[in-house]
Amino acid sequence: MKGAGRYLGILPLLGLLAAWQAAVWAGVYPPVLLPSPLKVVDAFWVFGPAIIANAGASLLRVLIGVGLAFATAVPAGLLIGRYHLLDQITDWSIQVFRSVPPISLIPLAMLFFGIGDTPAIVLIYVSAVWPLLLNTIFGVRGIERTLLKVAASARASEALVLRDIILPAALPSIFTGLRLAIGGGWLTVVTAEMIAVKSGLGYMILNAQMTFHTELIFAGIIVIGVIGLLGDQSVRRLRRWACRWQEGLTVSEG
Amino acid sequence: MSGFIECLDVGKIYAGKQGAVEALRGINVQCAEGEFVCLLGLSGCGKSTLLQMIAGLELPTSGQIIVAGRELDGPSPATSIVFQDHGLFPWMNVRDNVAFNLKARGVAKAERLARADEMLALTGLSGFAGRYPHELSGGMRQRVGIARALTTRPRALLMDEPFGALDAQTRGHLQAELLQIWEQQRTTVLFVTHSIDEAVFLADRILVFTPRPGRLAAEVTVELPRPRVPGTPEFAAIAAGLRVALGSEGGSE
Repeated sequence: MKGAGRYLGILPLLGLLAAWQAAVWAGVYPPVLLPSPLKVVDAFWVFGPAIIANAGASLLRVLIGVGLAFATAVPAGLLIGRYHLLDQITDWSIQVFRSVPPISLIPLAMLFFGIGDTPAIVLIYVSAVWPLLLNTIFGVRGIERTLLKVAASARASEALVLRDIILPAALPSIFTGLRLAIGGGWLTVVTAEMIAVKSGLGYMILNAQMTFHTELIFAGIIVIGVIGLLGDQSVRRLRRWACRWQEGLTVSEG
Repeated sequence: MSGFIECLDVGKIYAGKQGAVEALRGINVQCAEGEFVCLLGLSGCGKSTLLQMIAGLELPTSGQIIVAGRELDGPSPATSIVFQDHGLFPWMNVRDNVAFNLKARGVAKAERLARADEMLALTGLSGFAGRYPHELSGGMRQRVGIARALTTRPRALLMDEPFGALDAQTRGHLQAELLQIWEQQRTTVLFVTHSIDEAVFLADRILVFTPRPGRLAAEVTVELPRPRVPGTPEFAAIAAGLRVALGSEGGSE
């Protein structure tokens, strides 16, 4: 992915924009339902401060929720991956709970935590913790066995093995988990904000629907998409930097 | 006779899915300090298993293994092992890889890095201290593995087909370098190989293993002066004897 090639991804988006404008000109829906692209651009000016404030609120929730998930799932995953007994104890529970869609927990989260940041963060945590946990475990399991033999014959302490060998060996996989966690957390925050919170991009979109500001709905969707893309890109960059020792990184990385 | 490394009636049985597999039976080996001993055999003869047990990475099912006067219940601080697939940590640069065994022993950073640099110089890797393993050739990676094993000043170096994955030319270089290091450091070397020529080139004494179950079939002392030259009549005679002892067409090269 060098040179101009990396920007080819813009082409389908431009195509979509053209189709959108064509649909507006053709009058497929009345303008109040389908605003023109220019009207949406205008909405960014009109509602600018509100969009920024709501995007900030959503982002902060995702950062806290995913951060807490990272801080718990990665150490837990390293231990579960390392110790067979822990794996046996936790396996069924993990399989049961990871199959529960976080959105189905919204009613419970509201009963327990009311309306506000707490239920949203809890839901983001729940959606982020499983991909992080499973990918960490997976990363630990994939470790080359010779490396553990080297550590054993050097009579390395368990703490040294976890920190200097197991963690770095699992790191590429942990980053895969982080990408999924951020993606899942971002999906969840928007959903949760439509129901359980009175701020954030999800709340803003729902509110725009009720007040017939369709252009703000579109603007909100664009912001959600762009932040999602930027989030993913930054994790990829971070991964490339943190795993720069990896052989043939370009094969798995775009 | 007692030795620095002693195996007394050692046996190893693995519990497999199709019943138990006997990997080794009745192995008695004595190895004096400073000796260069090759364990020679075809694949599946248990020679690597024996080395792993002497390294303390696996326990024998029966018998005793004594290293430096103590019966093993885990890796001995008096030995270091070198693996065929080198076992370098891809996320550590060469210097950190070499210093790892000392880090595991709690040696202070400045001291272990100084010792690592010393061993890198010994193995001709001084210019590569900051490189990552994936930037090195196979031969250089194995040099790093040897440098790492030497940092703890082991009394015995245990080598599990260390040159098995290398091309013939690199292999020849490393064999010669290993002999130099061995002569300088005066460490005992236990060297697993399936190559007859490699064993004759390197060893003071060759232990020949045969499979199913793994047994010690013969013991050959090589009296040829070093450096030995493959292809000479004396060399070829010993190699031919080993080929017979292996009990088949076998032995590669």
